[in-house]
Amino acid sequence: MSGGGDLLPAGPATGGLAASDAVARGPVAPGPWRVAGQALLRNPSAVTSMAVLLLLVLLSLLAPAYARYVAHTDPFMSDVAATVSLHGEEVPVMQPNHNRLHLGLTPIGPTWNPRADLLGADNQGRDVAARLLYGGRNSLLISFCAAILCIALAAMVGICAGFFGGVTDMLLSRLMDIMWAIPVYLFAISLSIVSVSQGLHLGPVTIRSDSLLLPIVIIALVYVPYAARPVRGRVLSLRRAEFVTAARCLGVPRRRILLRDILPNVSTTLIVLAPLVMALALLAESALSFLSIGVQAPAASWGTLIEDGTGLIYTRPAVAIAPGIAIVVTVLALNILGDGLRDALDVRETSRGRS
Amino acid sequence: MLMALLGRLGQTLLVLLGISVLVFAVFFATPGADPTARIAGRNASPETMAAVRHEYGFDRPLPVQYLRMMDKLFVTRDLSSFVDHGQKVVPEVLRAAPVTLSLVGGAAAIWVAASVTIGTIAAAMRGSWIDRGLMMLGLVGISMPVFWLGEVANLVTQSRYHHSWLFSWVPGLGYVSLWRDPSGWFAHLVIPWIVLAVLFIGIYGRVLRADLVASFDEDFMRTARAKGLSDSRVLLHHGLRTSMITFVSLFGLDFAQLVGGGALLTEVVFGLPGVGRLTYQALNNLDLPLIMATVMYSAVFVVLANAVVDLVYLLLDPRTR
Amino acid sequence: MPSAMRVLVVLGALLATCPALAANGDHRGGTLRITADAGAGTIDPQINYFSEMIQVQVVVYDGLTAFSKHPGEASNHPVADLADALPEPQDGGRTYVFHLRDGIRFSDGRAVTVDDVVASFRRIFKVHAPSSGSFYAGIVGASDCLKDAEHCTLPGVQGDAAARTVTFHLTAPDAEFLDKLAFPHAYVLPADTPPHDLGNDPAPGTGPYRFVSYDSNRGMVLDRNPFFHEWNAEAQPDGYVDRIEYSFGLDDEAEVTAVENGQFDTLYDNVPLDRYGEIGDRYTDQVHIEDVFALYYLAMNVNLPPFNNLKARQAVNYAVNRRAMQTFYGGEGAASIACQYIPAGLPGHVPYCPYSRGADNAHPVEHWAAPDLARARQLVAESGTEGQHVTLVVPNRAVEIAMGTNLQNMLRAIGYDADVKPIAFAIQFNYIQNSSNKVQISLTDWFADFARPSNFVSALYGCGNFHPGSDSSPNVSGYCTPALEDVMNRAMSESLADPARGDALWAQADRMLSADAPGAPLIQIKKIDLVSKRLGHYTATNLYHMLFSQVWVR
Repeated sequence: MSGGGDLLPAGPATGGLAASDAVARGPVAPGPWRVAGQALLRNPSAVTSMAVLLLLVLLSLLAPAYARYVAHTDPFMSDVAATVSLHGEEVPVMQPNHNRLHLGLTPIGPTWNPRADLLGADNQGRDVAARLLYGGRNSLLISFCAAILCIALAAMVGICAGFFGGVTDMLLSRLMDIMWAIPVYLFAISLSIVSVSQGLHLGPVTIRSDSLLLPIVIIALVYVPYAARPVRGRVLSLRRAEFVTAARCLGVPRRRILLRDILPNVSTTLIVLAPLVMALALLAESALSFLSIGVQAPAASWGTLIEDGTGLIYTRPAVAIAPGIAIVVTVLALNILGDGLRDALDVRETSRGRS
Repeated sequence: MLMALLGRLGQTLLVLLGISVLVFAVFFATPGADPTARIAGRNASPETMAAVRHEYGFDRPLPVQYLRMMDKLFVTRDLSSFVDHGQKVVPEVLRAAPVTLSLVGGAAAIWVAASVTIGTIAAAMRGSWIDRGLMMLGLVGISMPVFWLGEVANLVTQSRYHHSWLFSWVPGLGYVSLWRDPSGWFAHLVIPWIVLAVLFIGIYGRVLRADLVASFDEDFMRTARAKGLSDSRVLLHHGLRTSMITFVSLFGLDFAQLVGGGALLTEVVFGLPGVGRLTYQALNNLDLPLIMATVMYSAVFVVLANAVVDLVYLLLDPRTR
Repeated sequence: MPSAMRVLVVLGALLATCPALAANGDHRGGTLRITADAGAGTIDPQINYFSEMIQVQVVVYDGLTAFSKHPGEASNHPVADLADALPEPQDGGRTYVFHLRDGIRFSDGRAVTVDDVVASFRRIFKVHAPSSGSFYAGIVGASDCLKDAEHCTLPGVQGDAAARTVTFHLTAPDAEFLDKLAFPHAYVLPADTPPHDLGNDPAPGTGPYRFVSYDSNRGMVLDRNPFFHEWNAEAQPDGYVDRIEYSFGLDDEAEVTAVENGQFDTLYDNVPLDRYGEIGDRYTDQVHIEDVFALYYLAMNVNLPPFNNLKARQAVNYAVNRRAMQTFYGGEGAASIACQYIPAGLPGHVPYCPYSRGADNAHPVEHWAAPDLARARQLVAESGTEGQHVTLVVPNRAVEIAMGTNLQNMLRAIGYDADVKPIAFAIQFNYIQNSSNKVQISLTDWFADFARPSNFVSALYGCGNFHPGSDSSPNVSGYCTPALEDVMNRAMSESLADPARGDALWAQADRMLSADAPGAPLIQIKKIDLVSKRLGHYTATNLYHMLFSQVWVR
């Protein structure tokens, strides 16, 4: 399995930025951030998406409160004998099937009553709505951290490759090729097993197997090649730009050029990339968890919830559909925000204006 | 030029070497992955374990094992699975390839047609609500996890509405060969095609629109319009043609990736016995020979496609020349 | 008896047999179509250890003995198959002389000879059959064959072509020898079968069906063995269907749908839990539930803290909610609660449970009723292991993950800092067996090879099955005590002369294990077979589930 395809799809950023990568040329003035910020706030869809994201973060932060004060359940405690009170009646959460063969128990379906399994229960009698909120915490946290880590690594790789060129560029580019084609799944299985008993020792750092660091690092690494590519392209075009050439001719040291001229210009690319990479990381997290190698039970993420739900899809489809909708909404909001940022910080317009 | 080509080829081979070494190393570094006990069978005695270990060469140094595996995979091509001992992995991958090709080919046809239509319409009507609506739809497509969409599609077509007139024609999951039953082939694949294509319609539609809109300001487009050609004509004849460079190179990368087994989740969700599903099974069983074969197969596609696209850029795009 | 009456009796007998004959005639023919998720490994009957393949091979191959193909309890016992009769043990149980039945042919037309039998037993060692070091290690010369398979002569198996006898010499008496001969790895193959894993190329057999093709990724096809005739209907009855087509590749959900829609006649894999309600409600008549000798249990490592402490192990046994485990496996219909090391239905199983609310070793109850958390907490406190970190390792399948989460909650409730770690199903069992992986507690299942208590007691808790540092060490708990070894050895040796006495000793071993608690038995599972509407005459044996030669398709 390679990094791409439908497992870890490359989003519109490949297109968008690869295209601008091919088109963009010429120097870019360090954008006045305030202008960009105002432009972003004038964009209604970007503002809406930010509001949606904020709401999602808030909701998932409120997960313990919901579980404790509204649903009155512990969404990590499996209890097959539990009951909920519905319309003044005590109803079992796991409802036995009244067939002759005594086969199977079906969890309670959506009750639309937040006090009694709003979205129904999963196969362990746990409240799906509460798990959805808890799952959101992990999904958002993982994708956010993975995006930051990925962007940071991609910036280093992309800038080094683009700025130093030559052998460095060649080595880094091929390294990226290897990373892009390596089977993530194998890597993830292996890491999860290695860390089960011993934990993972990386020098002084020890990672426990239930640590979210594992999926974060795996997902971040997966998308480094993908994010490094446009960064490298950007740096390449900047290096050839007049103002950099001028600085070089004036004998400005390379480190200074890197810090003063290249980095600020690349940062707009990085900021535009960030929400898009986070969107991809969220999708990747759900795909890995769906294949049961992302977030490990009993912890929840939207991906593991879908995986749990597929075992119930014919009887209780809500268990799998609800987390899917949560993913779609979040990823959509992130993508719209990414678009908004791109418009606000538009690299292309600026460069065109100057050339 | 030739040197560049050869250089790139050498690098490509190095990348493939790196991938295979890494896969091999990761496998043997995983505790419990040692295939001896699984080959020997339940409750095998220490003597049996030792004999199996020797027979399969697991008692040799890892570099020797690696070389032997590569020799069996690429030279004699008789590498067989650790799980199904009689199964030669190379023919297995080659037999799965047409299934994947059927899936990806159909999906690609759909996504190219749909995204060109959407992208062109949106670009022609840029700024209008149709443009915004189409682009939003594209974003929704990009935002859906494909396995979830597939599960929902299965729920609707296989169970909830299977007995309605709309979906009663949908056959059970699986695959039928095109040569054996063309209409069955189509019926089995049409829903997977659409599910797989949704994501790419979104991406490509948006990319194409962006490119087209950008190209309106290019000099040759201005010239064309100044010559009095109509907007739509300019768009179709000139804009689309130039925008196709990005489009085609993107397409090359994605298509190669998918043909190499990247449509793993779609194949798993729809029970299509293609390369992706084979990879999935191999990984589930931790069956190293099959993992190695599928990974190398897919890596060849990915790495070669990367190299080819880079070269094509070099040759075609006047701007990078 | 007067002649008129004799005629009447004969007529009656004829009338009685006629419907059966007619039925047999009516129902012969057709193709049995089976679906499974994945292939069944190598086709080599002396190597394959997957029930998917064994279930098919049962109607393709024969050994000197075979487990009876009569349903129910009868199927626990070996009967004569290629041999004329079950021999009486001689020399105090060290020697068995089998007389080979005449007129049986392989599916390639060759007659079965004494040479084939002798060669097949050598082949067990030459191909390193998984059971070569366990079931067949007691044959004289086996130890040399295990060390050097290539030059294996196995003097303990002697053929006499003229007398058509095969003589076995054992190093020690073995009450289970006839069972072991009936086990698939001892099937008789032609003497010239290559001495290596056959892979996908089938060897000819003697049963009513023969393999036509096998591809471990696509499927397999069997048709009738043209040289088959029925010689002992209990050992190897003739088949009804003409052809068996097995196809691989659908996942469990799709398999169920396909059987419901009549595209297949049955599925091999377990019906996924969410479909139980559906098949129980709407396909009741097409569902068959059979008891299986298989347990889900917790293995506790008696060599690592905290479970090197008896009280800690007993606490787990008191605290575990076996009813919840049953629910996760699909409810009452799909599994029964187990509190003992020997599953119900096997000799030596005497209902006994000291770990239920209100019971203890001095006052056991017959059947488990409810967990006793208070007592469990008290035991943990007494053991001084409270607050220790415990990692439970489970396979990453939905059912086991659900059980694992519940068990983690249980471990936390009795005072441990507990984690649950799901590991890829393919390697979890090997992982927990290896003592170098330092697994404290794990969830796994275990199936019987034949219907004897040793399959659960010696196999999982005998010193001989504990191999430190090896991936193949089914004694996952690492449990080894002289007291239990002694009882097991006596049970084995006394079973030969006095089976009842042997069973009593096995029951004693079961109680000793309960007291020492190296594991925690959870549930005994059942096999749920969903069949198509057209499949009739469902017949199943205890060890090999549905018997493909005895079902008919209309």
